[in-house]
Order: sequence, then C-alpha cells, then structure tokens
Amino acid sequence: MTSGEAPAEVRVEVGTAPATGPLLELRDLRVDFRHGGRTIRAVNGLSYALSVGRTLALIGESGSGKTVSSRAIMGLLPPSATVSGSVRFEGEELLGLSDKAMRRHRGADIAMVFQDPSRSLNPTMRIGAQITEAVRVHARVDRSAARDRALELLKLVRLPSPEQRLHEYAHQLSGGMRQRVVIAIALASKPRLLIADEATTALDVTTQAQIMELLRDLQRQLGMALVMISHDLGLAASFADEVVVMYAGRAVEQAPTRELFAHVRMPYTKALLDAIPRVERPPHTPLPVVAGRPPDLAALPAGCPFAPRCPKAQDLCRETAPPQEEGSPGHRWACWYPCEDAAPPSTLAPGAQPPGGETRWA
Amino acid sequence: MGAQLPEAEAGGAAATLAVAPTVAEPSARRGWTRNLDIAVPGALIGVLLFLCFVWPLFGTVPKPTGGNILDANAPSFSPGHFLGADQVGNDLWSRLLHGGRNSLEIAFAVNVIGLVIGGLLGAFAAFWGSFTDTVIMRVLDVLIAFPSLVLALAIAQSLGPSKLHTIYALCFFSVPAFARLARAQTLRLRERPFMLAARLAGTRAPRILLRHIAPNILPALVTFGLLGVGVTIILEGALSFLGLGIPPPEPSWGNMIFEGQAVMSAEPKLVLLPSAFLFVTVLAFNLLGDALRARGNTS
Amino acid sequence: MGLSANGGEPLLSARNVVQEFVVRGHGGVKGGVVQAVSDVSFDVRAGETLGVVGETGSGKSTLARSVLQAPRPKAGSVRFQGTDLVGLKGRRLLEARRSLQMVFQDPFGSLDPKWRVFDLVEEPLVAYGVGTREERRQRVREVLDTVGMDPDVYGRRRPRQLSGGQAQRVAIARALTLDPALIICDEAVSSLDVLIQAQVLNLFERLRSELGLSYLFIAHDLALVKQVSDRVAVMYLGRLCELGPAEALYREPFHPYTVALLASIPSPDPDAPRAQAHAAISGDPPSPIDPPTGCRFRTRCPRAQERCAAEVPEMRELAPDHAVACHFPVERGTALSP
Repeated sequence: MTSGEAPAEVRVEVGTAPATGPLLELRDLRVDFRHGGRTIRAVNGLSYALSVGRTLALIGESGSGKTVSSRAIMGLLPPSATVSGSVRFEGEELLGLSDKAMRRHRGADIAMVFQDPSRSLNPTMRIGAQITEAVRVHARVDRSAARDRALELLKLVRLPSPEQRLHEYAHQLSGGMRQRVVIAIALASKPRLLIADEATTALDVTTQAQIMELLRDLQRQLGMALVMISHDLGLAASFADEVVVMYAGRAVEQAPTRELFAHVRMPYTKALLDAIPRVERPPHTPLPVVAGRPPDLAALPAGCPFAPRCPKAQDLCRETAPPQEEGSPGHRWACWYPCEDAAPPSTLAPGAQPPGGETRWA
Repeated sequence: MGAQLPEAEAGGAAATLAVAPTVAEPSARRGWTRNLDIAVPGALIGVLLFLCFVWPLFGTVPKPTGGNILDANAPSFSPGHFLGADQVGNDLWSRLLHGGRNSLEIAFAVNVIGLVIGGLLGAFAAFWGSFTDTVIMRVLDVLIAFPSLVLALAIAQSLGPSKLHTIYALCFFSVPAFARLARAQTLRLRERPFMLAARLAGTRAPRILLRHIAPNILPALVTFGLLGVGVTIILEGALSFLGLGIPPPEPSWGNMIFEGQAVMSAEPKLVLLPSAFLFVTVLAFNLLGDALRARGNTS
Repeated sequence: MGLSANGGEPLLSARNVVQEFVVRGHGGVKGGVVQAVSDVSFDVRAGETLGVVGETGSGKSTLARSVLQAPRPKAGSVRFQGTDLVGLKGRRLLEARRSLQMVFQDPFGSLDPKWRVFDLVEEPLVAYGVGTREERRQRVREVLDTVGMDPDVYGRRRPRQLSGGQAQRVAIARALTLDPALIICDEAVSSLDVLIQAQVLNLFERLRSELGLSYLFIAHDLALVKQVSDRVAVMYLGRLCELGPAEALYREPFHPYTVALLASIPSPDPDAPRAQAHAAISGDPPSPIDPPTGCRFRTRCPRAQERCAAEVPEMRELAPDHAVACHFPVERGTALSP
C-alpha cells in the first residue's frame, strides 16, 4: 500500500441492484443545445448498458459528446438543453425527473468526479468540513459521526496522514491528494455508480496510475460500477471491461475491451489507435494520420460524421449514416465498410511498423 | 468551424483545445435585434449627441444667454420658445442643449484625459514593475485617498469656476482610477504566454506596449470610461450646483438645476427638465458601459 | 555529454544551470526559495531531437525558459551556436538568440488575440528588421504554406477563429520565419486532441527532415517523447536523473525513477501487464521549496539507502552516451557497480 496503512474495511450491501437488468442503461440518448439561433446536436443517439461492479470506458475527443452524456445522466445540463431518449438507473427513468428528485440520486446513488480537483474543492473550507458536509447531505448523522466517517473515507482513499488532512485546506495538498479527497467526497454516501470524467487527465502519469488502481480497488471493495470518461485509449485498455468509442455525438463502436482491441472495426477507432505514440515503437516512426477536424455539431453532414476524414469513405458513407449493428457478440459498430482483421497492435514486435493507414496530414 | 458546446462540455476541461470557439462574425449580420442591449442605449446616446452638438449648428435654436427679459417665464410652446423660457428670458430648450454640450464636453474631456494619462501610467507601472511601479502607484494612492468631491471643490474654489478648471479638478480622480485599472489589466496580460512569445520574437518594449498591451487593455478602459462619463456628469452637476462649476450665465445641467430650485414651486420645469436630461444621459451611458462589459467578460 | 556527430561543438550546450524563484508570503515577505532547476547540464547536437521528460515540479519548463534567458538563470552557462547567452543583454542577446525559437503549450495563449495571423507570423521579421515589406510578405506566405495553412484563407483571421491545431500551426510558422536552428517545444502538443496531435507531430518530423531542425522537446508523456526524440533526458524535482539514447533508455533504464515512470504508462493493449505503479514508486512528490537532501528522489525510491541522503549523485556514464545520476542504479548486464 502506498501510504503504509491498510484500507478500511467497508461493507456495503450490493443487493440493491434490481434482480434483472443492468445498473445503468442508456437508450438512444439525444441532447441538443440551442445556441445563438443554431441547434447543436451534442449527443446523437447513445446507447449502452452497465452492470453492477463493472467498468465502462467512454472514449472520445473534444466535442464527441462524452461529457455531455454524463451530465445528462446526472441531470446537470443547462436549461438550453433538450434531452430525449432514456436513461434508466436500477430500472428507474432518470430523464425528466424534477431537480428535487434528481438530488436524491446525486451523490447518494450516482456520484461524479471531475477533471480538475482544484476546481471541485472549495478553497476556503477545510478538507474535513467538505467531506462531513457531503456525508450529512444524504444521511442524518451528528457531527462527530460525520467526522468519523470522513476519517474513514480518507483512509479508504489511501490519503497519507488522514487525521492531519482533515484540518488542512485544498491548496496545501498536491494534485494527486486533492483528487483522492474528491473521490472520498464522491464516495461519502456509498454510491453504486461512479462517473469519473477525465478524472486523471490533469495528473502526472505516476499519480494517474495510483489513482486508477485506487478506483479499481474501491470498485471491488464497494461493489461499485464505474463509468470512466477519457480520451486515453491506453487507460481504457488497462482498466475497462467495456469500451464505447464516441465521435460527433454518436457511439461509433463499442465492445468488451479485449474484443475491441483485438478486432477493431470502425476506421475512427483504428485511427485513434494508430495515432497514439507507442513506447514499443522506435523514435521517428511516422504516425498514420487522418486529415481534417471533427465536424461542426451544428451543421452535421448527412451520412457518417467521420466520412469527410475517413480513408475508406465511399459515396454510401457520405449519403447515409450507417446504423449501429451488432457484428459479433457484444461488439457493435456503425460503419458501412469496417476494417478487416489486420495484425492487431498488441502483437507487434518492437520495432515493427503498424500496418495500413494513410499518411496524410492537413 | 467547430462549434463549442456551452457550459457542459467545457466544464473544468483544461486539457484539450482542439475545437475552436464559435466564429464571431455571424451575429452582426444576423441583426441588431440580438444586440439590443447595445443598440438601445447607443441610439439614445446618438440622439443626445446629435441634439447637443449638431442641432444647434443648423437648427433654429435661439441663443442660450442674453434673452429678452420680457419673455421671462414664458410657458412651453410659446412662439420662439419651444419649451418656454427661464426667469430671465433665456430659451429653455436652448439652454438644455447647450448645457448638455457643456456637461458632455467636460465628461468626455475628463474621461479621455483619464484614459490616456491614467492608462499610460498604469500600463507603465505594471510593465516595468519594481521601482517605477512603486513610485507611480504610491503617488496615485495618495490621490485616491483624498475624498474626490472635496478635492474637486477645493481646486475649483482656489482656481475659480470655469469649464477648464472643472476639468482639471475632475481629472484628479479619473486619472488614478484609470491607472489602477490599466495596471491590473497589464499585470494580468504580462503572465500570458503571448507576451513572452513577443519578446522571444525580438519585439522591443515600446512596440510591445503599443501593439500588444494597448489593444488588449483598451476595451476594458473604454468600458470603464463609458461608466465614468455618467459619474463625471453627475459630479460636474454637483459642482455647478454648488456654484463651483461652469459659471452662469453659461448653462450646464448642474447650474440650471441650481438656479431653478429657487423657483421650483412656481416653475418646476426649470428643475425637472435638466434633471430628466441628466438622468436619461447617465442611464444611457451606464447601460452601454454595462452591456460592453458583459460582452467583454464572455469573450 | 559528448560531442556532436561531426565532431564539432554541439548546437546548444547547457552547463550547471541553476534557476530559483523566491516565493513571497503575505505582505511580500520572503516565504521560501523554489529550487526549480539545480545544476543541470546537457547538450543538443545539430540535427538531433533531445526529449526532456518529467512530471509536475520537475523543472523542465523552467529549464526551457532558462535556456531562452527568460529569465536568466541564476548560475551556469548556456552556449548556443558557440555564444554564451547568459550575461548577454538587449540587442546582443537578441542577435545571439535569433536562431532559437519556442512553441508553447497553449496554442491560443501564445498568440495575441487582437492580432491577425499574418501579423503574428510576420512579427519576428519586423522585430529583426529583415527585408523589405514585400520580402517579408513573401516569407510569411512561404512559411504558412510550409505548415499547411493557406495564407489567403487564414492570413486575415484572428486566433479565436482558428481551431487548436490550426493555432498551433500558426505558432510553429512564426517560429520558422527566422529560419531557426533549434526549436524548443514546451508541451507543444499536449493540449491537442489525439488525431490533431498526430498531425502536428508529423509536421515536426517533416520540418526536421526538410529543414534540418533540431528540437528540445519537453513533455510529460513518455510515449510521446520517445516518438520524437533521438536522446531523452529524465528530470525529477529540478535535477537530471538520466540522459541517454531513446531506445536504450526506454529498453534498459538505469535510474529507479525512469523505471517507475515507464511502469506507470498505461498501454493500449489489454493483454499487457497493468501499470504496476505501487511497486515502483510510492507517495507524492516532495515540495520543490524544501527538496530532500542528497538525491531528491530518495524519499520515494525503493532502493534508497543512507548514502542517498548524504551525497548528491553525479551524472556518470554507464553505457555509451548514456549517463545516470544514481548511487545504486538498476543493474543490467554491463552496468558499473556503485
């Protein structure tokens, strides 16, 4: 253990999930924004299901809609947003709930951790106060019980010297420690689902590894499901059970992790994989690049949103958007001309060049 | 161009910047209706400026002074007197327009001088820092510490009332105010990477001040100045009201109110009309300044 | 650290660079001194890319700025094209530094929002008084073409009308106008999306082969640094830990910190062993205001012993062109014993 202390034993009843059906289920989620007279289609039909105790990675670049979709789950979108589709948590429909009803879920059943811990923590409140506040929002306990729980939580997230930290302010902690505090606050009411939105992006790679391991261990201990939102496919490969790749508001490919990496189908996913610098490759290996930029969400082209940039695009792609189809068990993709099974990246010998891809740049 | 998702997508994400902010051009073409917050006060100010500065040059407006005593207290719409006349026969409409011109001239002068001199001082102080900064700011601190109205009164009293002296007096508080703002803005700007990039490109200090700092702090200063116009008009009004601004018979809204209050019960319009003009003008400038500041904050 | 391939002097040669910042407490009272860069020496040879990798607080960005004399380091020397930049001021510094340029992390932050693309790229030419107006125009067009931005389309635009990748291209174009020999890239692609990042990296590579550019490439992403570098330097809390050829350093690192860094990289391969961070490194980084005595990594190092607290390890060459600052480097076949 990094802090030299054993994590506190926390027993949580996992049996609150429904007997049948997944913990979280999204069906055809759509989110539009009206902005300056234009309609921005931020999420354009997203569906996935997450079971108790599992991890789903939502991968995409800027503007893919991954963050907006998670805000939609939490009911945290601004009034200018129009949401349709279905989001069911333990069978209960979340979309359309009043803010009051949503507040009962937020923090208690579903918690969220954001990218920048210094923005999530109140700089003028002591750490202990912020955690006890989170505890007491959802449970009627007195101050001293709340304080005990706060201490317990800090031990759970492996924060070194937890008793001392209770009295400190956010600026006295490093980035990694702050993120642990944020996670502790998120866990205050034993949520069954944790949404981590780029939670480790702002952290150093060593700290990132520690935090991800912490999240994974906490998942196992608490029986918690995790949605991790990121642009980092490497992170998804290491920690997720299932991966959903988003582009321009759509899920363009989703599959269990091993299946996705072994049999990449959607050219966008392949482009992402190819574009990541790999430690295994020698220096100055040319990166297979895709030209262009993500589309304007207010003026989406007819047809596949990736068609303008896709090396395999044909006329059909530009005219009609491909539907999402389940090609192999558990593996869905939306592409008319999916990639064949090339030698998957994981079996590359060090020094070999990745196959395929056109080297263009814009 | 990539469209930016408002609030939700942007929340807290400092890492990825691949999608651009929305292109700014469409709104101007789309119509003035979306810029109502600027258009309305702007139009109002336009009308006022036209009336006070342009109209008397062409229109048939009698002189504001030297009126015929026989016309004293003429009611509105009397022949030759659109809004009537004051106690000594001067045309009220004319006095309102000329008074407005005087008030506005003073307000503009004070704020322009403040912007230029104060802006330069503040920018220099922040740009060169250390000793220069300390000296300039301590001097200005002393000036700010004086109650501005009392100081203005003292100056006007000792130099004697006139338009020019009023301007001097009011500059004593506009210059430090602008300097403060310019300094804060320049300090913030200094931290931005493009300032370092400019230095690395080889650009020397004078050019950096002129081409990099000035264009970037000017919007904030101009907005501040617009709000300052309202304040200055009122201050000038107060000075004139106390007999230390523009000396009669030359009109200003302030001294018109002063003279009119003596006969307010008999001829309320002599107080009400200049007050109304004062109110509308200050309101218009404040609204415009606020609208510009709101835009500045979101860009 | 060795001479360049042709036997001549290296393009950039930093020796014993020290940079410190005074932290002011409330009321301007001196609160402490941040030892941002302590006794760092390295070379960048002509035509090579030296990657500098390190985490927050490692001092890598400060090192870059010290090389540029913005601000001047507290001690040490920085020889660029044979001239020591430290101690130069004004015009002489500008002349000596002319062929040294920088691209920053935030593409929008490094461009004046009020300027147009054309003027932004032209600025170095104007500042150095190069050519006539027409010649400058030509050069700007040329350089914009090189980075793939059509001058007729983008020349009159302002930064807020560009995307992140485009803005970074403009910054690169600006850096190219004076035909530099060395470009310092300070996290230049870190804030770009993956696919755009790849485009810009390919641009860097193309410029390298077409124009013979050298780079000092600073980043925290290890895979990224390896992608572009010939040699790599690893920094921790202001000191150099290890410096060697990219392949060798990544395959057989000597310094425990390098080992920990490499172990922490999540690999896009579900079958690869998971990042084993806790085995290789523990705890959080100490404060740069009060760094540990001796070896600064010792508080988190699984191999630390008494000597590490007492003695600052010096850089020693353990393999050809591969040096490490550690009393107990990770042993490999031919590593010297401590």
